[in-house]
Amino acid sequence: MKVLELKNVNKIYNSSEIKVHAVNNVTLDFEEAEFAAIVGPSGSGKTTLLNLIGGLDMPSSGEIIVGGTILSELKPSQLIDFRLHNIGFVFQSFNLIPVLTARENVELIMVLQKWPENKRNLRTIELLNAVGLGDRLNSRPARLSGGEQQRVAVARALASKPKFVLADEPTANLDSKSAATLLEIMVNLNREENVTFIFSTHDPRVVKMARRIIILEDGKIVSDEKQCQ
Amino acid sequence: MIWTLAWKNIWRNKKRSLVVIFAVTLGIISGMFLIGFVEGWSRQRLHDAIYNEVSHLQIHNSEYPGNEETDLTVINPVRLVLHIDSLKELRSWAKRTRIVAMANTPWGNTGLTLFGIDPEREKLLTEIHDRIVPGGGRYIDSGNPSGILISDKTADLLRLKHYILTDSVMEELRHEKIPVSVLERINQLRNVRFRSLKDFREGLMPLLTGKETARYGFLISGKALNYRLRNRVQVTISDIDGNPVQGIFRVCGVFKTANTGFDQSAAFVNAAELARLYGSGEIPVHEIAILLNDIDDADMVKNTLNAVAGGNSVMTWKELAPEAALMNEFMFVYYLVFIGIIMLALAFGIINTMLMAVLERTKELGMLMAIGMNRRRIFTMIMLETIFLTFVGAAAGTVAGLALIAVLGKTGIHLGSWREGFEAIGFAATVYPFVTPAFIVFTVIMVTVTAVISSIWPARKALKLNPVEALRTE
Repeated sequence: MKVLELKNVNKIYNSSEIKVHAVNNVTLDFEEAEFAAIVGPSGSGKTTLLNLIGGLDMPSSGEIIVGGTILSELKPSQLIDFRLHNIGFVFQSFNLIPVLTARENVELIMVLQKWPENKRNLRTIELLNAVGLGDRLNSRPARLSGGEQQRVAVARALASKPKFVLADEPTANLDSKSAATLLEIMVNLNREENVTFIFSTHDPRVVKMARRIIILEDGKIVSDEKQCQ
Repeated sequence: MIWTLAWKNIWRNKKRSLVVIFAVTLGIISGMFLIGFVEGWSRQRLHDAIYNEVSHLQIHNSEYPGNEETDLTVINPVRLVLHIDSLKELRSWAKRTRIVAMANTPWGNTGLTLFGIDPEREKLLTEIHDRIVPGGGRYIDSGNPSGILISDKTADLLRLKHYILTDSVMEELRHEKIPVSVLERINQLRNVRFRSLKDFREGLMPLLTGKETARYGFLISGKALNYRLRNRVQVTISDIDGNPVQGIFRVCGVFKTANTGFDQSAAFVNAAELARLYGSGEIPVHEIAILLNDIDDADMVKNTLNAVAGGNSVMTWKELAPEAALMNEFMFVYYLVFIGIIMLALAFGIINTMLMAVLERTKELGMLMAIGMNRRRIFTMIMLETIFLTFVGAAAGTVAGLALIAVLGKTGIHLGSWREGFEAIGFAATVYPFVTPAFIVFTVIMVTVTAVISSIWPARKALKLNPVEALRTE
């Protein structure tokens, strides 16, 4: 079942003198429970593409359809609500809220979705156990390592049971051991939660674990291959 | 969770938040102190005006307030008193005779208004009987028809005060812990009589250093003060036919209120004795003063009495003591202006702090928008942070301010150096600050309004963030 479709998506940035075609006529679709990596050199348009898929930015032309909803047809307020219920985000620099504990950071999404407290508690503990932080529930981000913080961010992204998770270079700020642990956890969660993961990366470790590799150059897809694990 | 997050957010930069909280606290304390000070002053003036000078209502012949002629007496006072007695709002009333007189002693003279009163009734109406100065005799009573109660100021003008360091005064001063060396030096003035405070101080000056005079001079002159009680005072008035007549009264007591102007113009004698001197068969009534249980009923009672007043006029305290009424009514404007200024200053501090907080958290706010926190929640969060920040300071300021007012309300603030000036315009030199519950409610409302208004700018700033750009910031 398709969870995401991109049809002839373009993103052009018009500055005063130059026109930058950041995403150039991209057509893609993603099935349920895919584990896909978008790779390419710096400036190839990976992050822009992820921003478009995540509804953080609007395409100059083309359509992005998530579960039958065309994102460009949503009002800004509907788009925020749509993101809340359908898309999980993992950022390169973790972006946890420093004044909240690991538990509260994960719970926040469910609070915004107005989940009942008992359901929230169960889901939070389940996810933090899944990312190996069951014993760090009440630790604030400052007391967690980079790898642990990113694991909390993954748990947060999955908290609301989204249709897919977008991860923008999730291992870029991690050492190799932490990156390996994080990737292993994400692969497991991808399988257990049946959630599509889409990464932008140029980390070969991530590429190696991906079941689909989309190569982007100058905003265009130059390769889209599925590989057996 | 939004509330928890907002609360936790204000403690991210403890030092900066504490500075704002401290500023709010200090603002509330200073506002409370100043308002309490003026409120205390205003209440004291109002209290003195009502309980020493004008009561809640007065009835005069309708022509009397304009020219105060002695023959303009209250018309049909007996019938009026029957109506007054039937008022359910009534606490007490008293009839008075008022005659302008010249008072003389062998050493001085002054013009004043002689109030012919029924001392027992008057005690239920005014607090003059509680304002007898130490060593100033006692209140006028019906058993002493020739007694006259004069003020400390009148005693001054009639030279009925003298200063003398008697043996008993020296003994009292010894108990007041005045150094022996000072006592030994002022002993040279023992039993020397000074006719004025000026003379007494001039006598002390060569014996004491400037520092000793400043420290002990007031106490020594206070103890040395002696009133010439039972001294004769000759008063001259115009009798019922307009001829000047003299009468002799003996000083039975000396009073002092916080209003030198009133003190200087008022002396009290028995109404029957004054009527006899005036040459009237019955006691002329120039004034009926009325005290109610509740000051707020004054206007309503005025309307009731106006209906039966005939050729008399009924005036409320607001007309009789307009300066006290003005001050009382001006208090709300004063609150508004003063608290407004404080709140305006605080608002700028709060806005500055919150703008910095939003700027520092641009990336985080971008992340929150990205993961699905809507604008309403972002706005609420920033607004709550501002309100929490303000309310912590306001709560601390209110508690500290109330404690300060409670302490100063008991001890009073002594403005001794400006005593004469304040008393000349009717204000006491010791102020007991006071804040009303209405003021506290008003302050809470103002703080809330300030916090909400101050939060709008930073919250709008947060709403204008573009999540993609915000996430790119470092």
